[in-house]
Amino acid sequence: MAQAQFKILVVDDEPDLEHLVRQRMRRDVRAGRYLFAFAHNGIEALEILNEDPDIDMVLTDINMPQMDGLTLLEQIPKVDPNIRSVIVSAYGDMKNIRTAMNRGAFDFVTKPIDFQDLRITIDRTLHHMALWRDALASRDKLVALQNELHVASEMQQSILPTQFPDLPGCQVFGNMAPARAVGGDFFDIVNLEKGRIGLAIADVSDKGVPAALFMMSSRTLLKGTAIGDPNPGRVLTEVNDLLEQDNEAAMFVTMFYAVFDPATGKLVYANGGHNPPIIVRPDGSSTVPPQTDGIALGIMPDVDFTQNEITLSPGDILVLYTDGVTEAMNSRGEEFEMDRLRAVFAAAQWDDARRANQAVFDAVHAFAGETPQFDDITCLTLLYRGREP
Amino acid sequence: MEIKTERQNGTLIAKVEGRVDSANAREFENALSSAISDDDTYVIADFEGLSYISSSGLRVILLIAKTLRSRNAKFALCSLSGPIGEVFKISGFDKIISIYGSQAEALAG
Repeated sequence: MAQAQFKILVVDDEPDLEHLVRQRMRRDVRAGRYLFAFAHNGIEALEILNEDPDIDMVLTDINMPQMDGLTLLEQIPKVDPNIRSVIVSAYGDMKNIRTAMNRGAFDFVTKPIDFQDLRITIDRTLHHMALWRDALASRDKLVALQNELHVASEMQQSILPTQFPDLPGCQVFGNMAPARAVGGDFFDIVNLEKGRIGLAIADVSDKGVPAALFMMSSRTLLKGTAIGDPNPGRVLTEVNDLLEQDNEAAMFVTMFYAVFDPATGKLVYANGGHNPPIIVRPDGSSTVPPQTDGIALGIMPDVDFTQNEITLSPGDILVLYTDGVTEAMNSRGEEFEMDRLRAVFAAAQWDDARRANQAVFDAVHAFAGETPQFDDITCLTLLYRGREP
Repeated sequence: MEIKTERQNGTLIAKVEGRVDSANAREFENALSSAISDDDTYVIADFEGLSYISSSGLRVILLIAKTLRSRNAKFALCSLSGPIGEVFKISGFDKIISIYGSQAEALAG
C-alpha cells in the first residue's frame, strides 16, 4: 500500500508548517510515497480541492484567517466525501479537537508537531483510505455486475413476443416468469407462409450476459431459418450447426419447434433435447406426442433432427413448457412434475389460450408457495378451435 | 453441493452430492476441474448423491466431457437417480456421454 502515491493538502496560515513538512518529509516525497500541496487558509484549500481531484487527505490547522479549519472540515465532504482530514491543534485544546472530530475529522495531531507521530498518523489515515478505496471499488464492481445482469434480463425480455397472433381457428398465448437471477428461457411465434405458424420454446444453459447473447443468437437463427424452411427437423439441424460453430463456452439450448397449420390442424415438430409438450384433449385427458431424435442444440455438429407429424382435433390444446414448470419446488422439496401440469388441464375446460396459460402459472405459484423460484418458468399454449363450420 | 474424490487404478471417481443449480454452477465447475489432474485417463462422476442438476450444471458436465475428450481421456457418469436420468435423456446428453447404472459398471466399462 506504501507503493501507491498519495496526495496530501497541508493547510496553515503560518509558513512554518509548510517549511517543516517539506524538510522533514522530503525522504518520503523522494521515495514517491507522498505528494504535498499547500494552502494558507480554508478558502484557498477549497479552491485547490476543487481543482485537484487527486488529493486524498487534508492536514489542517484550526485558527486561520478568512476560513478556519473547523469551517473547512464542514466544506470538504461537499467537494469529495472520500477525502479524510487530520487537524493540527494546540496541545490540550480538547474543545476544538472534539468539535473537529464531531465534524468528521479522521484524527488529530498537536503542536508542536512530532514528525514521527505525524508520519504514523498520515500512514494510518492513508491505510484507511486504501481500504476504503478497495471497498468502493468492490462496490462499483458489484454495481457493474448488477447492471450486467440487468442488461441480460432486458435482452431476455426484449426477445419475447408481446403480440399474439389472432388466427382463424386458433389462439396462441405465451408467458415467462423470470427467476431472480437472469435465466435463459424464451419462446417465439413465427408467422410462416400459407397461414402457418412456427412455435418455439427454448431453455439456454447458464445465465448472465454470455447466456443472454447465446439466447439472442439462438432466437435470431431460429427465426431466420424457420422463415425459409417449413420442416422443423431441417430447421433445428441447421440452427444446431450454426450454433455449434465457435461455441468454446460449451453453451447449449434445448428447443422444441413445431409448425402448425390452422387450416388442417396439422402439427409437424422436432425436438432439440427439450421437455416434450403435452396435448390436452377436450375431455381433459392429455398425451405426450411421439418422441423424435435430437439433442440439445450447440453441442455437436451434424446431428440429424428427425420430425414427426400429428393432427390436432378441434378443442385440442398444445402446451409447450420449460423445466421451470415441472421442476418448480415446494417447501417439502417436491417437484411440480408433469402430473400436476396435466391436472391443471384435467380440472377445467379451457376455451381461451391466455386463461389456460395463466392457469399453469397460478398452479405452479400455488404449489411453490414461499419457496424461492430457481429457474425461469415459461409456458406457451396453443388452443385449436378448428375451422368455423 | 459437495464433491468427494478418490482414485482407483488411475481412475478418478468424483462423487457429487447435493444440488447443482445456476447459483453454484461456477463453484461446481471449479471444484470438478481442479479435482481432475492431467494424468487421469478415466474420470467417473458418481451422481448417486446428486438430488438436482440444472441446465447450468449440464453445461459444466459438457465442458468437462469436451476437455477430457480433447486429450483422449474417458469420461462417464454413474448412479443417476430417476429424475436426473430423465434430464440427461430429454436433453440428449445420454447420446454423447456414457452413463452407467452403478460405479462398478462404470469401472468395468
